[in-house]
Amino acid sequence: MNTKKWKSIGTVLGETNISEFYFSLKNYKAKKGDIITTESKIPSSEGNVIPVTVWGKISSIESSNVFFPTEAAQELTNENIDIRDTILPTTRDELICKVIILGFTLKDNLKLMPLNYPVRPAATVSYPSSEDVEALLISDLDSEHPLFIGSLLARDAVKIKIDADNLVSRHVSIFGMSGSGKTVMVRRIMDELLKKKYPMLVLDIHGDYLGFIQKQKKLYPNNEVKLFYPNLSVSSDDKEIIYTLIDKLGNSLTDPQKDFLSSLLEKVKYESGSLLKYIELLVRKAREYASDSSKSFKNIRPASMYVVVRSLGQVAKKLKNMEQTNFRHRQKMSKLKFEELPDAATEPEKIINKGQLSILYLKGYENLPASAIVSILLENLFKHRQEVEEEIPPFLTIIEEAHNFIPSRSEDKDNLPSVDTIRKVITEGRKFGTGIMIISQRPSRLDETIASQCNSQIVFRMVNQKDQRATTRDSETLSVDDSKQLPNLANGQGIISGQVVNFSLPVQIKFDAELINDDIGNENFISAVENWDDKESVKQRKKFAKDFSNITSIDRRRPN
Amino acid sequence: MNNETDIKNKIKSNSSLFTNFVKNAVSASPKVQNNFLDVSTQVALTIQKILEDADLITNLEYKGKDFWSENKCKTSCFVDGGVDKTSIISSAPLSIRTGSYIVKPDAADKNREFFEESMVFLGDLYDPKNELYDFAEDDFDEDQMLNKKKDGARIIFEAVTIVKHILLNRKFDYCFLHGPIEATVMPFTVMGFPTFTKFAVENMLPFYNKNKLNAEARHFIHVYLEALNSIKKSKFPIYGIVETSNSAPYIKNLLFNYKSKGTISEKDFKNTLATIKKYKITDSHLLEIILKSGQAIKPLEIKKQIKGFSVTSGSAWEDKMDSFPSVHIGYIKINDHSAPIRIESLNPSKNLIKDYEYILATARLLPNYGFPVGLNVVDKFAKIPNWMSKASRKYYATHLLKQAIRSKDQNTISLAVKILSKKVRSWRNRPLGGLAR
Ligand SMILES: Nc1ncnc2c1ncn2[C@@H]1O[C@H](COP(=O)(O)OP(=O)(O)OP(=O)(O)O)[C@@H](O)[C@H]1O
Ligand SMILES: [Mg+2]
Repeated sequence: MNTKKWKSIGTVLGETNISEFYFSLKNYKAKKGDIITTESKIPSSEGNVIPVTVWGKISSIESSNVFFPTEAAQELTNENIDIRDTILPTTRDELICKVIILGFTLKDNLKLMPLNYPVRPAATVSYPSSEDVEALLISDLDSEHPLFIGSLLARDAVKIKIDADNLVSRHVSIFGMSGSGKTVMVRRIMDELLKKKYPMLVLDIHGDYLGFIQKQKKLYPNNEVKLFYPNLSVSSDDKEIIYTLIDKLGNSLTDPQKDFLSSLLEKVKYESGSLLKYIELLVRKAREYASDSSKSFKNIRPASMYVVVRSLGQVAKKLKNMEQTNFRHRQKMSKLKFEELPDAATEPEKIINKGQLSILYLKGYENLPASAIVSILLENLFKHRQEVEEEIPPFLTIIEEAHNFIPSRSEDKDNLPSVDTIRKVITEGRKFGTGIMIISQRPSRLDETIASQCNSQIVFRMVNQKDQRATTRDSETLSVDDSKQLPNLANGQGIISGQVVNFSLPVQIKFDAELINDDIGNENFISAVENWDDKESVKQRKKFAKDFSNITSIDRRRPN
Repeated sequence: MNNETDIKNKIKSNSSLFTNFVKNAVSASPKVQNNFLDVSTQVALTIQKILEDADLITNLEYKGKDFWSENKCKTSCFVDGGVDKTSIISSAPLSIRTGSYIVKPDAADKNREFFEESMVFLGDLYDPKNELYDFAEDDFDEDQMLNKKKDGARIIFEAVTIVKHILLNRKFDYCFLHGPIEATVMPFTVMGFPTFTKFAVENMLPFYNKNKLNAEARHFIHVYLEALNSIKKSKFPIYGIVETSNSAPYIKNLLFNYKSKGTISEKDFKNTLATIKKYKITDSHLLEIILKSGQAIKPLEIKKQIKGFSVTSGSAWEDKMDSFPSVHIGYIKINDHSAPIRIESLNPSKNLIKDYEYILATARLLPNYGFPVGLNVVDKFAKIPNWMSKASRKYYATHLLKQAIRSKDQNTISLAVKILSKKVRSWRNRPLGGLAR
């Protein structure tokens, strides 16, 4: 590290302390978010004075020309005077930067240490070379498994890496408004983890991750990428979830009817397998009880039992519908091989395996069933990690559109089964290697406990103030100055903070164009309309529509 | 020219003369008000007549765009001082500084404008040993003295700053001071007004050592006179610019001249002066009514230090008064809605109209305030931090430091750093020391 080569960009101003300082910046020499240094001296424990390099990050810049009176602008405009001809001051823009101190380094050792003595006012502020900044970041990160994610914002030459170990065990949240670059970021991380053969499970609602399947042979020859469609497979252990599903998806039931439903679940044993099959079994059994006015349900009238039967029928119908929708979506992507999600209770290794990426394609499912599916799945996988005989390796779960699975209580969503499960997995994930990555456009709508368990955050463009507040609330490392920057970020620019880095950094995420799902691409409605041809049924309707409307138009009779 | 109705209307339509009168005579009956209107109208008409007779009113030209493109090559320097205004015990050090804003519009960015901290002083400006004025007999006296010390300090520093520019042979086309070019020194002739410290004088006027700087030589009156005499020798025009005048030196002198010529009788002269005094009519009041926007009155040569006041009479300084240079005083009315500004110089102007037009143009850049914008700029710069806005305080901090660093003098730097490291409050309470030691 040759500090002599660094360009001087300003001067430290008075009133310094050990956590921040101000400096006056030469025009155009640095930007917000830049990492800068100043040489200082600190007392050593042996009592002598040692020179150190203090590192800091520009957290805000103010520019002002305090000497320009606003009134003057009026005259300049009215008289069409060029300000440069007048005696008005034009070059007095003063740039004052606020710097958050990151720590100090000693000569020849790039380990950042906390500063315990204020920097020297009047000292020169320097702009360190890109190599040195990168070296500092890497050395400071001290990571055995760094993951490359992009470069320091507007300083392309400084590559940014984050710590994989913290990432997979300490949980990460990725927030930002729609289109801000969350998914691009996640794919970047997944790419890196795939190369490390780290197992991952992605809950994909939109098919944003199908690119991994398409590109598997080419980009990840040593990995397995599996694509699953959901299968609501249950066992008697999942009674509660089944009850919730039927209760919420079916008709609303009175208390006696509910009693009957829960006794029914109690009585009708089921080893494990498809939920639909189980519901069909329940319908049959319930009919039997109703028709023989059974002794086993003395207090319940057969009429009530039939209500439950009908409700079960409703549930079955809805579930079939969702399955159908999901199926149709899959069919559109005929080139991709979808497999039914294996039973996580009995064959977890088919889902979590070294080097394997499993994508669970949830398109078409409503919140509640999707939540049930995820809850049962994660519950089972987690169990396998908890057991002494770990049947599966540690893995990372990636939850897209997380507000669907872990809504805040204030959202007043019906108690989703996934909330409890994810809460459990995330709280104990550190012990058992079940890291979670939650992605959401609306952090303010997320379960607070879960969001605050994420020790690292990557935040992209965010305009909504509620979401900004939620983001800073859940983070210990994202500063107010950082959050001010959020509305101004462009696509793919994020602020990364927490344990995956050592201090918050504005980053330009590397965009992996080849990981985009070719099949869906961006919806192009205009060309869809251009190539539109009416369906046969519509054509038929249109053919007769005119005739019918003629009839109605001449009908003068009043209805009796 | 204004006729009687014009004048009356002007007075009524919110002239400072009328508002001032109404303010001072809230309960004035309509009769009293009418009388005031009649009197001031009559005075204005008379003075207007005399001004015309003497051909003292002149029209200035202002063509904003053209003016500035023709004058962008001129270098102007604007000077103003700032004193730590907060109350300090009289023996505590003052902090004071003067700033210069030097600008040559058509120069390249790097050389276009300079904000110079021409003089900074923190420490014992006045000599405690020579402070004959003992501790507060009462608070009022103490305050009075303190204010005088501050004023005296500012006046000296401003003058000395200009002297410094002259000595350094700066190539200015103009130099402007915020305030009178020659202050009335009478207040500083009071008994017990302390002398400056030797260190202070040596730093202010390095060439002024012929008297070995004994106590008398270090008194305000002597030091100031020395500074003024140097200013008078300047090769470039120097003007002091005063916002409003609360006395009537111009009118009085005008009348005096006419009396001396015999155009006005002794009696008329005396009575008119008495009227002006009774009705509290000032130069500003009257000229605001008489002049139109863009008009100026050519300067009169006026003696500022007048012998024979009770305070000075018999004092050691009585004779010194006569040695002070006389001042050329004129007025320019910048816009329709503000009082004319007073222009003072120690020498007669070589290019009066050109100079006044330059002043007019700089003041038109503050179209409402109607005061040379360069002085407004330097005023902001010169202020001492504790009454500065946050932004300019930061600016000041930067500036001071840059300056200190440029000087490469370790003491200056460490002083600057010390000042900057202190919170505003502690700055003024800082212990004795600093530069003065
Ligand atoms: N790092 C990046 N570099 C360049 N372009 C990017 C980057 N990140 C995102 N983009 C652009 O923005 C588009 C949307 O990004 P992305 O799909 O990641 O948004 P998102 O935050 O996941 O939005 P949503 O919440 O709607 O899912 C990308 O298709 C790409 O065109
Ligand atoms: Mg997305």
